[in-house]
Amino acid sequence: MNGRSKSFWRRGEKEVSLARLYAIRALALLGIWGLFETVRTLVAHAPLDRGVHKALIGGLWVMTIFAFRYPLKMVPILLFEMLWKMIWLMFFGLPQWWSGTGSPLLGEDIWGIGAFPLVCALVIPWGYVWRHYVRAPGERWR
Amino acid sequence: MASTAQSIATAPAEDLSMFRLYVLRAVYALIAFGEGSIVVPDLFIHGPTARGVIPAMLSGLCLMCLLGLRYPRQMLPLLLFEMAWKTIWFFAFGLPQYLSGQAPPTFAEDFPAISFGVVLMPLVIPWGYAWRHYVRAAGDRWR
Repeated sequence: MNGRSKSFWRRGEKEVSLARLYAIRALALLGIWGLFETVRTLVAHAPLDRGVHKALIGGLWVMTIFAFRYPLKMVPILLFEMLWKMIWLMFFGLPQWWSGTGSPLLGEDIWGIGAFPLVCALVIPWGYVWRHYVRAPGERWR
Repeated sequence: MASTAQSIATAPAEDLSMFRLYVLRAVYALIAFGEGSIVVPDLFIHGPTARGVIPAMLSGLCLMCLLGLRYPRQMLPLLLFEMAWKTIWFFAFGLPQYLSGQAPPTFAEDFPAISFGVVLMPLVIPWGYAWRHYVRAAGDRWR
């Protein structure tokens, strides 16, 4: 019993735990479910809609499906998720929140977007990121 | 000389050729610096009530692409994302608006910029590699 739970939470020094893989998959599922509302509007939208926002969400939705099957290979998408949401908070969310004037959707976005950097930070396997995207030698140049 | 030329153009089946790595790096650089020089200023200069999701997402992507210069293979999901959203835009918005002649004011800027990506991405993504690693490969473990 003990050995089994240990293998769920820990897989040695250089491997991502099963618990972590499930956490990434859970986040991917949340994305598949949560973004679907926007994805649906791709087929039924106002004729003059700019569409960039919806298309970006649509692209992200496609990648969350991959992330469900390949959580580790899609870690760059998870990092991207955290990064853009932090950028949004820094340049739009928080300044608008503090100044009291902001976009009409601020109240919704400040949670829908603003809470996610924290969620991503908790889910991202930082040891893996460190080993693969910082310490690993870069791809060859010649 | 001949062997050098060959080693640049070809590589073992599992690997990416040197040529492909350079092409990928060129695309990461194009996104990071080319697209970045257009979208990042929007973070600093915008109306007080701008929603900001689009510049934040695009700036995030541009920054991530800097990692692609060092790890072109591992950052491929970024290029797949870039292709996915641009293709979606093209077929759900760009093309119908182009054909109907009714388009938002941003269309003149968006259409060429995004369509360029729709053409470029399929040309540069190593499809054999993507197929093997993101479709055929066994998913990560479940137990």
